[in-house]
Amino acid sequence: MGIHSVGTSDVEAVRRVLGGDTDAYATLVARYRDRLARYAVHMLGNREDAEEALQDAFVRAYRSLERCDDAARFGAWLYGILVNRCRTTGARAAKRGRVFVRDEAALNGVAHASVAEQTEGEDVVRWALARLTPEYREAFLLKHVEDLEYEEMARVTGAGVSALKMRVKRAREQLQAILREAERV
Amino acid sequence: MFEPDEELIGRVVRQLRRPVTVDAGLDARVMEQIARLPARRPGGPARAAWRWLTRPRTIRLSPLGALAIATVLVAIVLWRPDRRSGPASARAFGFVVVAPRAATVSLVGDFNDWDAARTPMQRTRKDESVWTAVIPLTPGRYRYAFLVNGVSWLADPAAPAARDDEFGAPSSVVTVGGS
Repeated sequence: MGIHSVGTSDVEAVRRVLGGDTDAYATLVARYRDRLARYAVHMLGNREDAEEALQDAFVRAYRSLERCDDAARFGAWLYGILVNRCRTTGARAAKRGRVFVRDEAALNGVAHASVAEQTEGEDVVRWALARLTPEYREAFLLKHVEDLEYEEMARVTGAGVSALKMRVKRAREQLQAILREAERV
Repeated sequence: MFEPDEELIGRVVRQLRRPVTVDAGLDARVMEQIARLPARRPGGPARAAWRWLTRPRTIRLSPLGALAIATVLVAIVLWRPDRRSGPASARAFGFVVVAPRAATVSLVGDFNDWDAARTPMQRTRKDESVWTAVIPLTPGRYRYAFLVNGVSWLADPAAPAARDDEFGAPSSVVTVGGS
């Protein structure tokens, strides 16, 4: 899937924004909002923090748009900014002692056999995800949920491909262990 | 796709891939915040061409090549001439970098919107390997970097590194105090 599937449109929107058409930025915000929101909510485990990080990332990206060296890859570049904002926000939240807050409103239910069962399952998954270290959680989400290639992840996170592969592997092992343990309880 | 015992991970991934919604007012808040920022200066073809020429590019170097470049690119600390220019509260700050093999060096930072066209550095007369730029800065904290030959981002090793660099390129920090 990647994060540059709408490259042509992004190029045009970025060109217009750089040309002084501020309204064109609304197109980019609308295009990337939901996908980035999913990452931020899962990464931070808290809707309020996620929205703050997301808003900040969009504004920072606008202010620094001249530094986006390839408009066709605007999405990947924006992801990099959000990943950093989430790291900062996550570190701040950790200092406050907030690790995981159940937030039903953040999840938009899809048709399911049992809403109660679904919510319970999602809570367990999010609880397990929150028990990973931020580095492992970040790598797992980018690889398996956001579907990024390792090379793209390396550009977004600043970590090496080998380190990222190791983090994803460890994250999967830990998630399995945590969830298996939860099933036994 | 998943290995044995990975059915569990597959279920986790399917759950996490479900759509997430955020406050519907987020778009409006972003656009409101942006509207309060200084307006962008529209750029013409020349500006676009310059941006293309000066955009950062990744270059691959052998360890020996990297070492050679590292040995010739040594930044010197900032100096602050005792003169004032620009707005009343601004002070002139000098930036210096040693880059003997560079054809062009630009100073880019928060103070010029990271626009490589706005602050080209000049070679000094005494030593052509030394590049300088003097700009007025009002009190505040600024991130900056040097753009060598329009392709290589270079942080100032003599200054603190920016810790919140989310753009993927190294940068430094200068803090200008009030007087």
